Amino acid sequence: MSTLDVGGYSPREKGVAGLLGALAALLLLAVITGFLAPAYLLYLVGLSAMYMLLSMGLNVQWGYGGMINFSVAAFFGLGAYGTALLTASGSPISGGVSPIVALFGGLGLAAVLAVIIGYPTLKLRDDYLAIASLGLAEVVRIFILNESQWTAGSAGLTGIPLFFSDWPVLGDLTYPYVFNVGGTSLFYMSQSVVTSALNVVLVTVIVAAVYLFLRRIHQSPWGRVLRTIRTDEDLAETLGKNTFAFKMQAFVIGSLIMALAGVFYSHLVLFVSPQDLQPITTFYVWVAVILGGTGSDRGAMLGGFTIVAIQQGTRFMTDTGALPIGAAPLRLMLVGLLIIFIVRLRPEGILPPERELIWPDSLGGGRNE
Amino acid sequence: MSEQSLVSDGPILGKEDPVLRAEGLEKRFGGLVATDDASIEVERGTITGLIGPNGAGKSTLFNLVSGFYEPDAGSVAVNGVDVTGKKPHQIADQGMIRTFQTPRKPEGMTVREALLVGPHNQTGESIIPLFTSPDTVEQEERRSLEQAQQMLERFEIGDLATQPATDLSGGQMKLVELARGMMAEPDLLLLDEPVAGVNPVLADKLAGFIEELNEEGITFLIIEHDMNFIMRLADPIIVLNQGSVLVEGPPEAVRSDERVIDAYLGGPSE
Repeated sequence: MSTLDVGGYSPREKGVAGLLGALAALLLLAVITGFLAPAYLLYLVGLSAMYMLLSMGLNVQWGYGGMINFSVAAFFGLGAYGTALLTASGSPISGGVSPIVALFGGLGLAAVLAVIIGYPTLKLRDDYLAIASLGLAEVVRIFILNESQWTAGSAGLTGIPLFFSDWPVLGDLTYPYVFNVGGTSLFYMSQSVVTSALNVVLVTVIVAAVYLFLRRIHQSPWGRVLRTIRTDEDLAETLGKNTFAFKMQAFVIGSLIMALAGVFYSHLVLFVSPQDLQPITTFYVWVAVILGGTGSDRGAMLGGFTIVAIQQGTRFMTDTGALPIGAAPLRLMLVGLLIIFIVRLRPEGILPPERELIWPDSLGGGRNE
Repeated sequence: MSEQSLVSDGPILGKEDPVLRAEGLEKRFGGLVATDDASIEVERGTITGLIGPNGAGKSTLFNLVSGFYEPDAGSVAVNGVDVTGKKPHQIADQGMIRTFQTPRKPEGMTVREALLVGPHNQTGESIIPLFTSPDTVEQEERRSLEQAQQMLERFEIGDLATQPATDLSGGQMKLVELARGMMAEPDLLLLDEPVAGVNPVLADKLAGFIEELNEEGITFLIIEHDMNFIMRLADPIIVLNQGSVLVEGPPEAVRSDERVIDAYLGGPSE
């Protein structure tokens, strides 16, 4: 690649868009023909969006700044447990707090932990953060598992309310919800469909906000400094950049986005347990980021989506009896194959950043957004 | 200066207006003494050369004054401000920018973008102003872009502007480094072997640029093994040997000084 491609969409981008479009059409068809329950489809959309958030969070740390964080699951878990402990009826601590307030509880926990782990390790070379975060993830999980007087331990937390449960209108809906237009009722929706739809709306707003926020900071001078740090921290230092501060900011922002995914997860599934903090989550998210294209926010989203497609797709395939082996081994095998294919065929990922990160004017093409 | 005292034994200290002053710097790596009581002063407005045989401690000295190594003893001051033990970025903020022996190339950036990293304290480098005062960020960015364009043209690498910063020849890379350093508006530029692995034509061009910048008031401290290059550009020249300053003086005098010749030939240096 001798020059960067300016303007237009690359064949690769078109290909990905086409595939996603086809998949959406297929899923829609499945719903219409009754093959797939609408509520389940909406749940899947929510789950994909959650993985997108996790991938975008890791991408801020690894893709932007080159920081190796192996405790994605821990930050996710802190978000999930933070909100669950504050809102759930089964919470051994407080419970009953409004989810809107609890959201900040979950984020706060993650931010504090990010600073605590980042402060000693971000001054050192990359590998130390990797080692420390690997340990941290297990410490958090085992803490939650064992300190049952605070966390309910292995039983997990039940009775988490929906995110909208105490909102003025949305919290007071009656089910089945009937759509009325001018006194005639058009159609009605079951409770599961309505809550799933609301969750999708919620997570869409979150994903969009996070994406726009990230795009802004990524294309800015701030993002430029981080990209410099990623390839050469010394260079950034000699140009007068406080690399520690930049890395810390990126680390905290990434962790907050992961925690946000956790908060949403709690209010989506309405149950959290230490099982959700298994290290495998961390590695799925890593695969998502690398698969999507390290450094690209869109790539991270695509990667997150692909992971859910594999996770749920394998379940679906074995449920229908189409395959002779179980879902779990099949899933792992597919992920493994996927990694091999990426490394062999497309080491930079499906949607690598290319010009996505570049402030359009600095290309001199006059392409304004 | 009179003919006899052209070459001083050890460094010339007590200069009128030094941009950089390093005193008694010492750095040990285990049992190895890399620099031993090294003192140098770089007078404002000069192009000061730093030469010496391999292993004399030139790069160590650069790393010490730019904050990459912490000295075991001694002090460093830039523009009269003590920066001993400060982080590299804090020292850079004082107006001293360095380059590296092997050019550093940011991946996934165009050359123009790589230059845009240069300016200090950009508003857009903080996250909150990106959202609260986007106009200021935008204006600054436009200014930087203009400045980058001027630099690219000045160093005759305008055609590389949208090229990936990793796809350059060694010589082009050196020019980009120089341009990027200039974007930070330094008082003093430390160049570590600017013409190593650069073809003679480009090396000539580079020397011309350095002279030009120097006339505009930029002070230089340059490590270089290419004697023709450094003798042409620099005055004074500081010779480092075995971790401390052997002699300092004007190029012609240093070139013919016996102690210097001995040091390079590996003879007795005391």
